[in-house]
Amino acid sequence: MDIIGISINHKTAPIDLRETLHLSNGEVQEFIPILKENIFSEGFILSTCNRTDIFGIPKERKINYKDIQNSLLNLKHVDGLSPEHFQNYFSCGAVKHILEVAASINSQIVGDSQIHGQVKEAFNISENSGFSKTLMHKLYETAVRVGKRTITETRIGQGAVTISFAAIKVLEKIFSTFDKKSALVIGAGETGELAAIHLKEKGIGKLFITNRTRSKAENLAKKLKGNVIDFGSLQDSLEKFDIIISATSAENYILEYNDVKSMIKKRKGALTCIMDIAIPRDVDPKVAEMDGIFYNDIDSLNVIVSENLRKREKEIPMVNKIIIEEMTAFFKWYNALDVVPTIKDFRDFFEEIRRDEIEKIKYKIHDYEFEKVDNMTKRIIGRILHYPTLNLKRLSETGIDYEAAKKYSEMIRELFNLNDSDKNKKD
Amino acid sequence: MFKVTQIMSYWLLVLYIVTFIGYLYDFFADKKYLYNTKRVFLFVTLLFHVIYLVERTFFLGHLPIVTQYEIFSLLAFAIGFTYFLLELLSDIRGTGVFILIFALLFQMKSTLFIQDVYVVNSILNNYPLGTHVITAILGFSAISISSAYALMYLLLYKNIKTNKFNIIFKRLPNLEILEQMNFYAIIIGFILLTIAIIIGFAWLPSAFPDFSYWDPKIISTMIVWLIYSVGIILKLRGSITGKRFAKFSIYGFILSILFLLLTGTILSGFHNFVN
Repeated sequence: MDIIGISINHKTAPIDLRETLHLSNGEVQEFIPILKENIFSEGFILSTCNRTDIFGIPKERKINYKDIQNSLLNLKHVDGLSPEHFQNYFSCGAVKHILEVAASINSQIVGDSQIHGQVKEAFNISENSGFSKTLMHKLYETAVRVGKRTITETRIGQGAVTISFAAIKVLEKIFSTFDKKSALVIGAGETGELAAIHLKEKGIGKLFITNRTRSKAENLAKKLKGNVIDFGSLQDSLEKFDIIISATSAENYILEYNDVKSMIKKRKGALTCIMDIAIPRDVDPKVAEMDGIFYNDIDSLNVIVSENLRKREKEIPMVNKIIIEEMTAFFKWYNALDVVPTIKDFRDFFEEIRRDEIEKIKYKIHDYEFEKVDNMTKRIIGRILHYPTLNLKRLSETGIDYEAAKKYSEMIRELFNLNDSDKNKKD
Repeated sequence: MFKVTQIMSYWLLVLYIVTFIGYLYDFFADKKYLYNTKRVFLFVTLLFHVIYLVERTFFLGHLPIVTQYEIFSLLAFAIGFTYFLLELLSDIRGTGVFILIFALLFQMKSTLFIQDVYVVNSILNNYPLGTHVITAILGFSAISISSAYALMYLLLYKNIKTNKFNIIFKRLPNLEILEQMNFYAIIIGFILLTIAIIIGFAWLPSAFPDFSYWDPKIISTMIVWLIYSVGIILKLRGSITGKRFAKFSIYGFILSILFLLLTGTILSGFHNFVN
């Protein structure tokens, strides 16, 4: 198989280079015509903020990885990139890599489900741009199937593997529903936003945001249909909240021991959960000693994350088994591509002769006799062609003696004059 | 015939042990194939228990509510059956091991010490008594289940508090659900005990010439009833919640079991029906 490709990912390049090389959907659509003209007859581009993979069938034999890398660099003009930042693949290795990406075992966070959607989108853009033909389409189907099978047949995507999601998992062990709960997110930065999004997804009843810069809190609150409370008077309204998630970059504690103590008094024993996902910590860790308070910081949540990551890694052999199964099926299909037309022409050739000959006696015998002869000749042709068809398919599908399959195919075409079907008809 | 009843009693204990081990193994292993298998085991155990109780009733000629150990067997059945229904209705499967341990312990106590009493007070062949005993037993089984949920609550509470994300954290439902189940079980137990007490007060004075309001069983039941009624009021008012309510539930259960054992062994009164 001629497929070749390059990949820049977390194993090969630092985050700043990966981010700089990231192609937006617009840039992908701009890049595809360039690749179509100079490099590939068909292909696809997968580009996320964490990885860029470009694969395809080269138009000419002399085209290699360098040409793909140069085309990409001509488009993005990134300084500091060297050949070591790219992984290069061809043939089986290329297919295996694509399937590993689709199975999410090549992601920075093993089992990251986002990649499934990103792979689909990449292939869809390719199809819509006329950059995907028979081979890429089949590869797309295989990749999607691998993605689905890894989700349903393995536990690769299970368990929280981010701090904010691990915090939600702990909350789920305390509260049965979130719709009647009130949550406060302190800090409207990236981590705070992610935590607020998770809470919103879980159907939190009331979401409040607070931030030292009020406008930031307002923007996030607007985005998530939440409310804003004033950062300065935060301590006075703590008792309203069942859940407090703090994710600021403050140097000192935002919530002192006494703040939480007075909050607990006012809450009359109702359970309260404080998730301190900031470094350095925003809440005095001594609050963990209070009854009715559940306190978790990054270290404790990391225990969940690390354990889940270990569990996901244990699933990799199962995923690899799925990849091998799907690769085998894919290559069976691919290897049979060349002999399928020959088999079809070969069978058509015999069928035509049979039909010609049987037509000659159609009006000379009774209908029931004709039917019998018709069926009998079909059976004869079927039996004659059974082994040649079977052997040709077998030779090509196994891929072990692909050259022999090709030779037999050509020989059959030559012997039965299948390349000139019009002449056959006349004769 | 004697041997049949005895053999059945031992087989019943074996079935409870096997079912409990099944639930215990599933709690730690969390294997999909065990989800329904363990439930089938529980169903078979309960079915065998029914057969055992029926056989015992016909063989001894009276309902198996005469001796303390017969009551323990009925309690084991009531706990197992109530949990079976709870599992079917709520589909919360991680709690079985904590509840079925009670059923197993009650049945073990019953199997190991049970005696066959042939001659019993004729008063026992009476419908009000049957209702009185059955509601009381169901009430006690609900209280046992409530304490199991309370125990699970405390274990999970401690695990989350100390950031231990082990098997308890993974397999048990959340704290709010456990507290809710604990409370519901107490309410059901309280209602059933109330019915048992009302029937008892309405019927016992006319049925027993030596009836006394100072009977140890009546006094202990009233104490238990009063404690639970105070607990329920405080819970409804929001005065005791969470961990404190869980502790209340466990202490209440320990007290009721202690009373049950004391009144059945050391203290005697007109409630003792064995002639």
